[in-house]
Amino acid sequence: MSAEKLPPRPQRPPSSAADAASRLATIVDAAERAAAGVIDDAEAQAQRQLEEARGRADRIVAERLRELADELDPPDSEERVTGHLKPVESVERDAEDEDDEPLAPRGGGSAGARLLATQMAVSGASREEIEERLRSGFEIDDTSEILDAILGPQA
Amino acid sequence: MTLAELQEREQRWLMQTYRRAPVEFVRGEGASLWDSEGREYLDFLAGISVCSVGHCNPAVVAAVREQAGRLMHVSNLFYSEPMVRLAERLSSASLGGKVFLANSGTEANECAIKVARKNAHRRGVENPEIVSFERDFHGRTYGALSATPKLAENRALGPMLPGFRSVPFDDPGALRDAVYEETAAVLIEPIQGESGVYPLSDETLLAARQACDETGALLILDEIQAGIGRTGSLWAYEQTPVRPDVLTSAKALGGGLPIGACVLSEALGDVLEPGDHGSTFAGGAVVSAAALAVLELVDDPALLRGVRERGAALCEALLELDAVREVRGRGLMLGVGLVEGIDAAAVGADLLERGLIVNVPEPGTLRLLPPLTVDPTQIDRAVDLISQSLLSCRQG
Repeated sequence: MSAEKLPPRPQRPPSSAADAASRLATIVDAAERAAAGVIDDAEAQAQRQLEEARGRADRIVAERLRELADELDPPDSEERVTGHLKPVESVERDAEDEDDEPLAPRGGGSAGARLLATQMAVSGASREEIEERLRSGFEIDDTSEILDAILGPQA
Repeated sequence: MTLAELQEREQRWLMQTYRRAPVEFVRGEGASLWDSEGREYLDFLAGISVCSVGHCNPAVVAAVREQAGRLMHVSNLFYSEPMVRLAERLSSASLGGKVFLANSGTEANECAIKVARKNAHRRGVENPEIVSFERDFHGRTYGALSATPKLAENRALGPMLPGFRSVPFDDPGALRDAVYEETAAVLIEPIQGESGVYPLSDETLLAARQACDETGALLILDEIQAGIGRTGSLWAYEQTPVRPDVLTSAKALGGGLPIGACVLSEALGDVLEPGDHGSTFAGGAVVSAAALAVLELVDDPALLRGVRERGAALCEALLELDAVREVRGRGLMLGVGLVEGIDAAAVGADLLERGLIVNVPEPGTLRLLPPLTVDPTQIDRAVDLISQSLLSCRQG
């Protein structure tokens, strides 16, 4: 094994005022970069927390909607035999047709009705529009309970 | 090129899969179209529910121009911001889960079918089935076609894919009986569009939801025609008592450019993995920018309220006409049932002559799908033209 002698290190030139200013500028620059990094980190953290909060809120709403759907009352067997609801938007002009196919009654407080009302409210439908759909689709005479629960009591 | 020359060359060079009306359109603005001879038409079909924000909507045109001048396509091997922003917006405005962007409605449904089958296999189902309604229309690629009973009967195109069955339309009992442990999904339209605008009853939708919940099947709502504000809410399901597991969208989403989207509920998580599905063009920067502009315009309570109000006004005015038997649908997605003895096809052709574009999806029905931005005077004009045409066709 052989070992070579390393060349001598170049010697640092003598310091001067210009060098000191340069070093100071470097230090200030590094400090500014570090500060900017801290600010960016803080902003990113705040953004993450905001998104997590939004996500949590969305999940709560989604879970609630799902729960409402899960609570659906099974239609009784008599309903299956006697027919079912017509398409609610089908505006038949012949009253005799309507008599031939009576609407099947449904429970006034079913989860389906509440989900319908919730979804319509979220999508911007008015109280009157929701009320009309609840009456025509679910044959609920007194819609105030559902509407008040979702939209708040009418002023 | 004259119309006659155009027709001759179209016949020579294009596969003859369409019967086109003898008109060449060269310009569009809002609810109006102009033909090659400069004649103006009122468009109450909107490219089959595609141009819902009107022809050449300035906001959509600006978004397309800006994006096309910057970046058009990079493929799905790389990131692009418009695609990601669109997926985020679509999901946060609907089911909250993952999104697959496609190029058309039928492709969106292909994705939904894959998701349903894979989800079923995960729970041990060997031969997953998809249940649809008779007269449903889900598309023309083989998966979607197999879920479209009427078109799937075309033996010349057979065999269809296995694992699809259909039940009578809007029959909750038949639907409940058809859904069992091997069912991967119930794939249905909340309002049937192509068959003539037939809304599903709340009871049937509830039965579908319940049957899916009991068996582990997915409820897939095809809102390709009914979605994006057409019914007066951003999604048609928002006016029903159910929430789907999977939602498919297309048509109006691109504002005139081809696009499709399959949106999952958050609970489904990641069903498809790398290699399960893909597309070269899907989620392209230009079409994604256009779709973001469309959603910005349509996801607006004032616009959606206007759709409901104008839809109700149009429905009411049509019901005043003697030759109208019924009006079906919601918002500005309407099927006008004519009294017996009136040839709807003749009325459609006559209306085109008079300068109103409508569609005849079945004998006895006119389908109206005007732009959501149509104004009350245009609605009055359309009703007036329909009235004149019905009177003329009845007398003729």
